[in-house]
Amino acid sequence: MAITVNIPTILRPLTDNQRRVELSGATVQDIIENLEQQHTGIKEKLLADGQVHQFINIYVNDDDIRFSDGLATAVKEGDSVTILPSVAGG
Amino acid sequence: MMNPFLTNCTLTGGLANPAPDFLAVAQSLGYQARSLGFAVHSQAQPMQADLSFHIQSQGGTSVQCTVSRWHDVHDQTPVTESILQAACGLMSVHGRATGRAQALGLNYVSTLSAALALQGGIAATLGQLRGLPMMHSHVAMSAAALLSVGQYIAGATAEELPEKLIPAQIIHPDCPPFVSADGVVFELETLDAKPWLAFWTELGIDKPLAGKGWTAFLLRYAKAIAPLPNEFINAVASVPYGYINELAQRYNVSVCPVRTLQERATDADCQRVFSQGPWAFSREDLTTALPLRTGSRDNLPLSGLTVIESCRRIQGPLAGHLLALLGAEVIRIEPVGGDPLRGMPPMADGVSARFDALNRHKTIREIDIKSSAGKAEIVELVRDADVFLHNWAEGKGEEMQLGASDLQAINPSLIYAHAAGWATDNTEHTLLGTDFITQAYSGVAQQIAQQSGKLGGSLFTVLDVLGGVVAAQGITAALLERQLNNKRIQVKSSLISAATLLCAEPLQRIYSPDTNEPTQTSLINSVYATQQGLIAIECVDEASVTRLFAALDKSDQSQQLAKLLLSKTAAQWLTIFQAVNIPVAVVVEDLTDLLNNPLLQPCLTTSSYTQVISPWSFS
Repeated sequence: MAITVNIPTILRPLTDNQRRVELSGATVQDIIENLEQQHTGIKEKLLADGQVHQFINIYVNDDDIRFSDGLATAVKEGDSVTILPSVAGG
Repeated sequence: MMNPFLTNCTLTGGLANPAPDFLAVAQSLGYQARSLGFAVHSQAQPMQADLSFHIQSQGGTSVQCTVSRWHDVHDQTPVTESILQAACGLMSVHGRATGRAQALGLNYVSTLSAALALQGGIAATLGQLRGLPMMHSHVAMSAAALLSVGQYIAGATAEELPEKLIPAQIIHPDCPPFVSADGVVFELETLDAKPWLAFWTELGIDKPLAGKGWTAFLLRYAKAIAPLPNEFINAVASVPYGYINELAQRYNVSVCPVRTLQERATDADCQRVFSQGPWAFSREDLTTALPLRTGSRDNLPLSGLTVIESCRRIQGPLAGHLLALLGAEVIRIEPVGGDPLRGMPPMADGVSARFDALNRHKTIREIDIKSSAGKAEIVELVRDADVFLHNWAEGKGEEMQLGASDLQAINPSLIYAHAAGWATDNTEHTLLGTDFITQAYSGVAQQIAQQSGKLGGSLFTVLDVLGGVVAAQGITAALLERQLNNKRIQVKSSLISAATLLCAEPLQRIYSPDTNEPTQTSLINSVYATQQGLIAIECVDEASVTRLFAALDKSDQSQQLAKLLLSKTAAQWLTIFQAVNIPVAVVVEDLTDLLNNPLLQPCLTTSSYTQVISPWSFS
């Protein structure tokens, strides 16, 4: 069983309009690299200078990776990775 | 100290004895117009059907302005501040954080209505000067109220996973503000996850829990809720505020006690902001004549004018949105790849409904403003523009060589506008100038707390919305001043100045205790449960109280109103009470119900989400 990545609507033009993509990898970084291999251009939407963009949240299951090991956060088969833009501040 | 501005304009109208529905609007309108430099002549209002005034300028223009209760100017269904908040969804949004729909307890819709009415009149005056055939400007209070919750309506009606946030169905009694062990009620802010984690780790919150708290905390701006786990509330409740403040400074987190309006009134900048109004203008004579840009598009007053907007989030984008609704072409600068908030759920037709609600009328240019190529692109845009609007941090414009002096050197007649957090240059404090911190600092949170039985302010973005309206109003006034007097102008507005505007009436009483301005007091002003649904009732005089109890068929007014109202549904009571001219409204708890109210339908239009249309009409 692979890892499911939930793609937000705004990025679906880059994934042939797929809502979910099945991938493999040991960390979130691996997942993003593999996603980029299949859907060129998505990585730069998620990362800036090697870090998750300030206004993008990435969750492994329900946990924000910033409060785990960041891009090194481990993933395993059956996990679900969700990408969500966030709003902070008015 | 008033802004030496628009001094060759007069506002004449029925501000002296308006119908009770319009008293707070009339007071705020008079304050705002005087702050802009208008000569204000108050007259008795001949008709109680609406609030009307006219604006004349040295340029020979004359514009008649009307504020009505509802979109249909002839509809006399009575309103009050609380009734509009109930009918238009503000109570619902404000109530999400406490689990029950309730009023803000401030003259919010009235203040917004006054600002929009004055802005409409100023815009129409400018339109006349530019050759457009407009004699009349109209704003409905209901439209102002709906505008303020436009983003939340978008979220509730988006085609893809609309938000269903109904106050009574949300169970999370604990949310900001926080209370320390020594009883200090305070607000906390950070825009970044790292300081959040460092701060809470020191208070014993583990990393995974801090992550859950961060997710909850981020919901404030989008959804007006913040369902923090109890551990957060308990962690700060066990230590004194001094220690919390020390940690906040160490980790670059903003904390601010919920201050009283009296405390705010003693701040060095408060009386100045109160006296000058919510805008700070600076102006110089232009040496060259301003090219006359005639209007065209849909005969809207700012048609033919161009605004360049470089703003994030709510306050600045709303200002740009309002200028677009007045007919300006708004070119919005976004980072390369687009503003990430475009993707914030819920979505409608491929874009965040909430984002689209503020940006749908704009042309987008993706520019890296920090690169030299990007700066060159901005310079080219600015060369032919009329307004440059930004909400960057203090000093950032100058740092990027995109400050007022840089851009006005390229285009001397450009109006350079800054929609900021604080009114000062931020040397007095280092607090983040965001909505909830500003509510706490300004006394607005305490005013809301006092009226709503809460600890602090609202998670409805009270000041971002009013701040956006004030920013657009200042820009419109600057455009008129430029046209009338050939000036080069900078205008700065802020969330704190919007807060000062919102509290102008109580501040007036603090600064001038002997003032004899009438204040609106209510004999009955509450939300009641009924057999089905909630009903808001506000009676501002004895006569309406008598009519209310007569309609209930109870001459004995000591009987508990709350108990009596349980015998019928809110909709049934609405019919009964409106028939005898009592200000009532069924409290809208689910924002999708707004579409069912015939009084509001003309202000709303539905595509992939429900949009609030322009609050203005011109003829």
